[in-house]
Amino acid sequence: MALTVLIVDDHPSFRASARMLLECEGYEVIGEAEDGLAALDAVARLHPDVVLLDVQLPDIDGFEVAARLTENGTSPAIVLTSSRDVDDLGFLAGRDGVRGFIPKSELSGSAIEALL
Amino acid sequence: MKSLRGALWALAGAGVLFGVADLALILDSSFIDDRGLWAAGWLAVAWAFIGVGLFAWGRRPDNRVGMLMALTGFAWLVAGAGFSSLPLVFTLGQLCGAVFFAAVCHLLLAFPGGRLGSRPERRIVAGFYVLTTIGVAPLWLFADPHASRLDCDGCPDNVLLVHSYPSLVTTLSTILNLLGAVLVTGVLVVLVKRWRRASPAQRRFLVPVYSAGVAVLFLLIVLVVLQAGGLGNSALDAIWLAAMVPFALVPFLFLGTLVRTRMIQSGAVGELMARLGETPRRGELRDALAMALGDPSLELVYWLPEAERFVDAQGHDFDLPAPGSGRAVTKVEFEGDCVAAIVHDEVVHDQQGGYVDAIGAAASLALQNERLEAELRSKVEELRASRERMLSIGLEERRRLERDLHDGAQQRLVSMALNMRLARARLREDPAGAEDLLDGAAGELDAALGELRELARGIHPALLSERGLETALEMLARRAPVPVDLASVPGERLPEAIELAAYFVVAESLTNIAKDAAASRATVDITRMNGKLLVKVEDDGVGGADPDAGSGLRGLADRLAVIEGRLEIDSHPGKGTTITAKIPCA
Repeated sequence: MALTVLIVDDHPSFRASARMLLECEGYEVIGEAEDGLAALDAVARLHPDVVLLDVQLPDIDGFEVAARLTENGTSPAIVLTSSRDVDDLGFLAGRDGVRGFIPKSELSGSAIEALL
Repeated sequence: MKSLRGALWALAGAGVLFGVADLALILDSSFIDDRGLWAAGWLAVAWAFIGVGLFAWGRRPDNRVGMLMALTGFAWLVAGAGFSSLPLVFTLGQLCGAVFFAAVCHLLLAFPGGRLGSRPERRIVAGFYVLTTIGVAPLWLFADPHASRLDCDGCPDNVLLVHSYPSLVTTLSTILNLLGAVLVTGVLVVLVKRWRRASPAQRRFLVPVYSAGVAVLFLLIVLVVLQAGGLGNSALDAIWLAAMVPFALVPFLFLGTLVRTRMIQSGAVGELMARLGETPRRGELRDALAMALGDPSLELVYWLPEAERFVDAQGHDFDLPAPGSGRAVTKVEFEGDCVAAIVHDEVVHDQQGGYVDAIGAAASLALQNERLEAELRSKVEELRASRERMLSIGLEERRRLERDLHDGAQQRLVSMALNMRLARARLREDPAGAEDLLDGAAGELDAALGELRELARGIHPALLSERGLETALEMLARRAPVPVDLASVPGERLPEAIELAAYFVVAESLTNIAKDAAASRATVDITRMNGKLLVKVEDDGVGGADPDAGSGLRGLADRLAVIEGRLEIDSHPGKGTTITAKIPCA
């Protein structure tokens, strides 16, 4: 059975590209959210296996979203992503249920799989 | 001056003549006892008011107190005609007998400036004059001096008598007395208010006059009440006679107070001059002026000719009080230029007239020195504020740059990378799909390049450094969404900082026009004049631009302030906007 993914990012162009890329590699994208609060809501409704979470969001940032999901206990696998470099943010992986960090330009199904 | 003196002497002559006439009328009176006492008292009061009044009038023609005092004296003489045994003169005297009462109240309210300040004051005085002339007239159509109520057997006939009607006369007098009481209450309210507003120095010179005035008012009220209460005529006469003694002293109290104020004031000027001989320390000048004018609330503000505004001693902006706010402004000039303004209590101005000007003139040199100091402080303050704003503008610009890069070019490049990755994955099975993805990637790349170019131009317009203002502005004009007419632009190269400032004035203005103005066209006009570069951008849009609303114009003003430039915005709703920058450019 395919892994289900929620894509959280405020840029529609990235969400569209990421959806195409992940579906192409056999993931099932069950939802998209454009800010942190919408993401919390979507996780509660859809129970995705993986949340692809952008760090910079218009309301609460990705770390905060991750922390709140972890607090709830039913945390999915969280993969942070950003257009920033892995050197900037990679060290934050491992906290608050975050499985890892993938730079946006290096996003692929196999990169996610490597972190799970 | 000569004609005034002549007129005063003529009035003095008239006062003597009428006085002598009163004297004859009183001595010849057929209905009073103690004629000698009455005559002496009456003349003493009349001549005291007229003499002192005319003297004060001659000494201070700008102050109406003297004139009002003389008027009171003459009104008193007219009332004296009421003693006559001749029916016509008697009737006239009785008819106009109360006008002096109105004059006394006028004098009291107009003291010491000579003018009535507020509308209520003018109304009270006008009410008094109406009451004592038109108001009492109907009474004399029905008052028969021989009738039971007035009971004056020796009185001559009332020539105006239509029909003897004692009960109507009683009713009318009661009404008139009540109206009079209302007006007197008004006078007292005004005096109490003034008293509470007065500074200690002002109170000192108000005491004698107010107490004498109030005593006279009180005495007159007592007389009216006693008369209404039906006290015997002989007892009333005795009180009247006694009352004339303090009444005759009133004008001298007024005079004494006027002289004393002048003495106090000239003393204060001397003291001020002596203090200013030394170099006054900060704040001392204000204290000295406050003391000289007896106004502890006095403020000194200094004129900055370049910025065209007033600042206080700390260099902070100061808005002059509006007329009617209770504060008055006296501007001080030094060698023909405005250097400062004294902001003081309006009462001080009313009461001491040109004196504030004199004090200001005496202090003008010292004020000029303090002005320079305040100007310096204001500049330091302005620089500090401007530096702070520059700093935060710099930070804000960096933040905006990071955001623009992140949301713009970076996102496009990310998408492009993902599209290319997808295209590579599909290349073999789905060449057509891969081609579409590569087209998309190329589109994203073009857009990213465009956004990067736009960003770079916002950071620094390379064309400006390379080709100068004219070419850079042509480029701005071509890119603007409305037609832009470049009326005139200096062809020669100017210092880089000045070119850059002018460029940003035009760029920001055109951005605003495109965003908010709904204009059909714009005109850019750059000229050099008197060592300044004038950058003017005009549009025919909706107007109403607010320099404080957006950070754009504010930031522009700060950029200009660094090179001593200034920004003026003329933007009224419906009348378009004109932005003018004045940049020093030798």
